[in-house]
Amino acid sequence: MARVKVRTFSAIRDVLGAEVVEVEVSLPATVDSVFQALLMEYGEDLKKKIWDPEAGEMAPFLMRLNDEIIRSRFDSDRPIKDGDEIAIIFPIGGG
Amino acid sequence: MMAQGFKYGGYVGQLLRINLNHKGVSKEPLREDWAREFVGGTGLAARIFYEEVRPKIDPLGPENKLIFMTGPVNGTIIPAASRTAVCAKSPYTGSFFHSIFGGYLGPELKFAGYDGLIVEGKGDHPVYLWIDDDRVEVRDARHLWGKNPFEAQEILRREIGDEEIHIATIGTAGEQGAPYAMILIDIRAAGRGGIGSVMGSKNLKAIAVRGTGSVRVPNILRVYNTALRINELVATLPAVQGLSGYGTPRNVAAMNAGGILPTRNWQTEVFQGMKEITGEVMRDKVVKGDRACFACSINCTKYSVVPSGPYKSIINGADYETIYGFGSICEVDNIEVLCKADELCDHYGIDLISTALSIAWAMECYEKGILTKKDTDGIDLKFGNAAGMLLMIEKIGRREGLGALLAKGTREASRVVGKKSFRFAVQNKGLEWPGHTCRPFPAAAVGYATGPRGGSHHDIRPTAEKSGLVDRKVLEGKGALAAEINHWLILCDSMLLCHLGEPIWGPTKISAHTVEALNAVTGWNLSYEQARKIAEREWNMIRCLSAREGFNRSDDQLPIRFMEEPIPEGPMKGSCIPKETLERLKDDYYSYRGWDLKTGNPTQEKLVELGLDFAIKDIC
Repeated sequence: MARVKVRTFSAIRDVLGAEVVEVEVSLPATVDSVFQALLMEYGEDLKKKIWDPEAGEMAPFLMRLNDEIIRSRFDSDRPIKDGDEIAIIFPIGGG
Repeated sequence: MMAQGFKYGGYVGQLLRINLNHKGVSKEPLREDWAREFVGGTGLAARIFYEEVRPKIDPLGPENKLIFMTGPVNGTIIPAASRTAVCAKSPYTGSFFHSIFGGYLGPELKFAGYDGLIVEGKGDHPVYLWIDDDRVEVRDARHLWGKNPFEAQEILRREIGDEEIHIATIGTAGEQGAPYAMILIDIRAAGRGGIGSVMGSKNLKAIAVRGTGSVRVPNILRVYNTALRINELVATLPAVQGLSGYGTPRNVAAMNAGGILPTRNWQTEVFQGMKEITGEVMRDKVVKGDRACFACSINCTKYSVVPSGPYKSIINGADYETIYGFGSICEVDNIEVLCKADELCDHYGIDLISTALSIAWAMECYEKGILTKKDTDGIDLKFGNAAGMLLMIEKIGRREGLGALLAKGTREASRVVGKKSFRFAVQNKGLEWPGHTCRPFPAAAVGYATGPRGGSHHDIRPTAEKSGLVDRKVLEGKGALAAEINHWLILCDSMLLCHLGEPIWGPTKISAHTVEALNAVTGWNLSYEQARKIAEREWNMIRCLSAREGFNRSDDQLPIRFMEEPIPEGPMKGSCIPKETLERLKDDYYSYRGWDLKTGNPTQEKLVELGLDFAIKDIC
């Protein structure tokens, strides 16, 4: 098993109830496995925040996997190991 | 209020023209061919401006024209279509400029019976316009001169006896011709480019509007269904729905985690004091309510109050740009201070982005020993000095001491101060940078560099690369991407759709929803290619306006800091756009656009293709 810290902000943090939550995934695991575990735990409320219903796939956003920036749409097969941290970074338009 | 017989839906079919030289008021028909070719908003204003205003005029002289323009979607039930374009030659950048604001004034102007308002000449004393449906008056405003925008609005509402009118006003900065003065429209701002000073140069203090009409569309059911669909997207698309909770500052913390929160005059992009200025902290400490623009379900605007103490203030916001500008860029980690800074800018009527970046530039000068306490009137102008920053805003507002220099912006101030301070003046074409980095994002970089306004995140959006939708590390194709982002933005600025709906209207090219919204209200049946051609025509029209003023490839630049100083820390460490990379990206961009590689301006063939033949004699 791998324990992974997931760091979130604003609207997603509100669903998870804390800035950092830990999830456990079975090895071998990927970034996608972490999201599947999160969706199992937090269900439809989380899905609404990260799922693009029009495209029928994960909304596009960046993530920081430890010190590296990866992409939700293209890097979900990246392997995960015990102790990793993922931060979800939604894009912002700005006023 | 409908002008009888206008060919297309969504339009009134009438423009209002005010000549302040002799207080003349005229109403003239909107040209149907120009509506079809340039839609409205910025596109249509650019075409009118090209026709009516000579190049090389003094932006603060009576020959400049101030154009408020609506679009066909304004005033309908389609959400995020409440914006208004105000255009003129900018005294700050020296080129045609459009500043877009939200709220209610644009729809109200249409309800009064006008697609746009052209103000020309100069009053011989301060005046304001009172537009009450068909009745239009140029009224004495001497009693309003010297008042801050909100005081002036309050007096006008009382004087006119109508609490529901919508009012555009300038502050004292605009009255005095300050280079980056803005216009306040109710509680919203047309912030950038010194448009407020153009208004002030005409002795025009305010424009008050009351309209009781409506907007006619050819098929109400089609418009209703389009609005329904877009409202559904607002409610379900993750990147849009989150705006209602925290407004535009919702991702301050996330951007910091991603290493893209501009900090310390862009010396780095990670802010250690971030935790005190996030959208979450703002919501907890100062936000008292939410506000929305006309018919908009995004509901992004926050209303904040600091009830007492040294930072007592009431503001519309804070928006992300406030938090970036006075927060991370000046390294001030106190949300109440940022509210006060925002309020001060509004009261003087100065653009907060240019104000903040000018102060941050001065802070860097001070810490490098280029400026001393003798220059700062005794203020210890270090990064993080909140009291010093607030004092400096006041000095800029009053153009007093160092504030008089900073009121000219970083480009001009660094010319005066010298000592290589131009190297950290974070601007392009004179316009200071907004809070969205391009060092890791090549399409955004070339978009910023080639943008007609300079440092504007509304000529380009980094979102396609910032969201990971497009691979930020690849250079190939980024000229094309930047051009197609230009196109969806300028079509939005002509329809007056809000860019915060970018996952709906863009984000990599004009979306089917944008085309459908335009077709639904006008009755046109444009294909994507036809809509794109309109947007391309508009973008080229604006480029012609710049070219006519003498702008060319050499003006398409990035701040030196972005080309020579990689981000020093965080997950984006090492990112920058070296000069040779920028030149390569510009070649790619100009080639895709069919522009001349040497001048960076449209070729004769391109102008003919777009029906802009009339500009050939001026720029080719």
